[in-house]
Amino acid sequence: MQETTELSPESASVLPIHSGIDPTISIKNLDFAYGSNQVLHGVSLDIYPREVMAFIGPSGCGKSTLLRCLNRMNDLVDNAQITKGSIEIHGNNLHDPSVDVIELRKKVGMVFQKSNPFPKSIYQNVAYGLQIQGVRSKRKVDQKVEESLRKAALWEEVKDRLNENAYGLSGGQQQRLCIARTLAVEPEIILMDEPCSALDPVATGRVEELILGLKNEYTIVVVTHNMQQAGRISDRTAFFYLGELIECDFTKKIFINPDKKQTEDYISGKFG
Amino acid sequence: MKPNQDNPFKARLSREKFTENLIFGLLRGVTFFVLFCAAYLFWDIFSKGAGKVFEGEGILNWEFLTDDPQTLHVLNEDGVEQRLSSKKYYALKDEKTLKRWNEFLAGSTYEFCQQKIKEAFSALEKEWQAEELEKMVQSFVAAEKDRLVNKFGFWKDLLSDTKATAVDFEVPEAEVSAMVSGYFLGHLNQESNRLALVKSEITRFRATHYPTIEKLNVENLQSLEEAYRTFLNQIAEPYRSSLSSFSDEITTTYQKFLDANGPKEFGHFKEALIAYGQVREVVITDSAESSVWKFIQSALKPFEEAVSVSLPSTDYAYSGGGIFPAIVGTLLLVIGAMLIAIVLGVFCAIFLAEYGKSGRFLSLVRLAILNLAGVPSIIFGLFGFGLFVIFLDWNVSLLAGWFTLAFMVLPVVITASEEALRSIPQGFRESSLALGATKWTMIKTSVLPYAMPGILTSSILGVARAAGETAPIMFTAAYAKRSELPWEGLENWTDFFFQGVMALPYHIYVVSAKIPQNAYTADMQYGTAFVFLVLVLGVASLSILLRNRLRKKYRW
Repeated sequence: MQETTELSPESASVLPIHSGIDPTISIKNLDFAYGSNQVLHGVSLDIYPREVMAFIGPSGCGKSTLLRCLNRMNDLVDNAQITKGSIEIHGNNLHDPSVDVIELRKKVGMVFQKSNPFPKSIYQNVAYGLQIQGVRSKRKVDQKVEESLRKAALWEEVKDRLNENAYGLSGGQQQRLCIARTLAVEPEIILMDEPCSALDPVATGRVEELILGLKNEYTIVVVTHNMQQAGRISDRTAFFYLGELIECDFTKKIFINPDKKQTEDYISGKFG
Repeated sequence: MKPNQDNPFKARLSREKFTENLIFGLLRGVTFFVLFCAAYLFWDIFSKGAGKVFEGEGILNWEFLTDDPQTLHVLNEDGVEQRLSSKKYYALKDEKTLKRWNEFLAGSTYEFCQQKIKEAFSALEKEWQAEELEKMVQSFVAAEKDRLVNKFGFWKDLLSDTKATAVDFEVPEAEVSAMVSGYFLGHLNQESNRLALVKSEITRFRATHYPTIEKLNVENLQSLEEAYRTFLNQIAEPYRSSLSSFSDEITTTYQKFLDANGPKEFGHFKEALIAYGQVREVVITDSAESSVWKFIQSALKPFEEAVSVSLPSTDYAYSGGGIFPAIVGTLLLVIGAMLIAIVLGVFCAIFLAEYGKSGRFLSLVRLAILNLAGVPSIIFGLFGFGLFVIFLDWNVSLLAGWFTLAFMVLPVVITASEEALRSIPQGFRESSLALGATKWTMIKTSVLPYAMPGILTSSILGVARAAGETAPIMFTAAYAKRSELPWEGLENWTDFFFQGVMALPYHIYVVSAKIPQNAYTADMQYGTAFVFLVLVLGVASLSILLRNRLRKKYRW
């Protein structure tokens, strides 16, 4: 846990955001509604390669909805639709009819709030994504499983019991297994929906450490209720309130000197 | 921005997509098939049943609801059909008789009588037209000729068979010759009896109607008499001639035979019986031949009676032997019905739980399926009889029984499977989709396997019900008695599905309700019931074991 707190204010400022790099994800003036209930109002936001973006805000502010828009998990909800604006990844509109949502979800992985490994062996869990893609070669799968578990810092703990049921693992291990499972399909972007909300502080520390390690390779978007956590792991933070993006800036700026009064009130615990 | 050429998310025209659509189509198809059958069931009963209850003059057919069962009398007067129950029929009859009696008394008597009798006679004349009589006579004579020729031919064959074989024991010549002439005489007697019957029929006709005819002095009397004479002659003449030629011929043959072979070789009726047994094996289907067969049987009866031993016994039907065909039949019925029910039910449940968008239509579908669960089993029997046995022309068969039973347990299976599918955590679905699974892959790999224990639990209930119900199989699949096992005597493999079987519940019903009761049937029915219970328990235990194994495998 101690290492995770070492993120210095300077580390944010050296990010290559301003040096003309194209954003990975570009959200443009997005309106989103569940039926007649509009939950997002004109959100515009760019997320850059290899940064950790944190979404914070009180419950019901639309931050999870926005996250689930990024890999179109909202398609599963009846009547949920984008009413205005667009989301683009590398300039490709996600909601274009020609987009294959399966390909999209392979590139944009997701880790859920509740760790939900399949009731299978640890190995089977990680191999699942490869198997449904039709990878038959045992050697290739073995290799990928080990690689993913190593990246998720779980290999050392489970290498001797790969064939045991995943539900024999502790909560934190299960969540890291879910991350490993996501890594195995080689995504470019990883979305995390409150990944630590069900974990104890030690397990949370391990996951946070993992996130910081992963950002060298992946673009990560994290939704969190825990503002300290946002402070510890994210490069930039977006604050949402009642479906609107109030402020998005470097994390240290948001936490030390926010532009908006609402942000300051939320950060300092006056509401939420 | 337009998606560029190398858009990594561009839709693929892959096989996966095709499979996806195919599966969706299949699931929807099955669901609509089940719905169609449910609709057919309700429509069939409502359209036909309501017609019965609401027919008649008033809005409601009260008689149908309040009367006891009676014979129906369908009157056909001047092309108008009128249906009357016994009560109404006799009331109407009494009324009309009274009316006619009054008319009769009221009219000027003699003329009126003449008129009435004339009418009666012309009606009778229509029935007994000369043409008809001729036809009758001709066919009778033709049949008679055939019989006599066949009779003789067979006898010749039999004799030549007999003489070819070795002598084992002897029978007094006189006895055999008495036997031979005895059964021919017997047969001829029979024929003359028949003739006498025709004669008496005509005499009766004459006795009843001649007085009135003579009295009335009708001009057609002559023609009727003529017809009658021709009739008699036509029958009698060929009969007489064949009788004489026949007796000549038989005497000659007999004499020749005796001369050629001597008295020693004549007496083996053991060989005759063997020949008879061989003839018996031949299956004769043609109707002309079957009359030959009947003759052979009657001709050889004296032989058979001479050797057969009769035991003093009283017979009790269905009280001996075993129930193996019924056990096999029940197992087959249950297994087939459950397979169909689970396949259709799970397809339906997947469509409802995973693909169906919640809305008014879907709740209507669910309502229909739940209602199906409340339909009494006898109505499923009627439905299966109407749809599978009659309409699809499957007759009383395994296939019809399977589908009828499957439809009976289908509501339970669908409802419970849907529950089982819904109880799978949403997280499994989301994780699977988030890892790039298509919808069907998601269902196949991360929903269905985990829902299987729940689905099997529901199917256990179904097994007990499918095995236990008598009513649905009564008209669709069950035979009261069938000695062959289902795999015996099949000409080609499809016949397997189109044969009726015995079933334990139906056997219990037959033994306890359809035949005379005695001390031996009680054992039988309770024995069957016991085996039945054990069998159902066994099948259910197997499913429970399977379910527990699966549960152990998938727990979360």
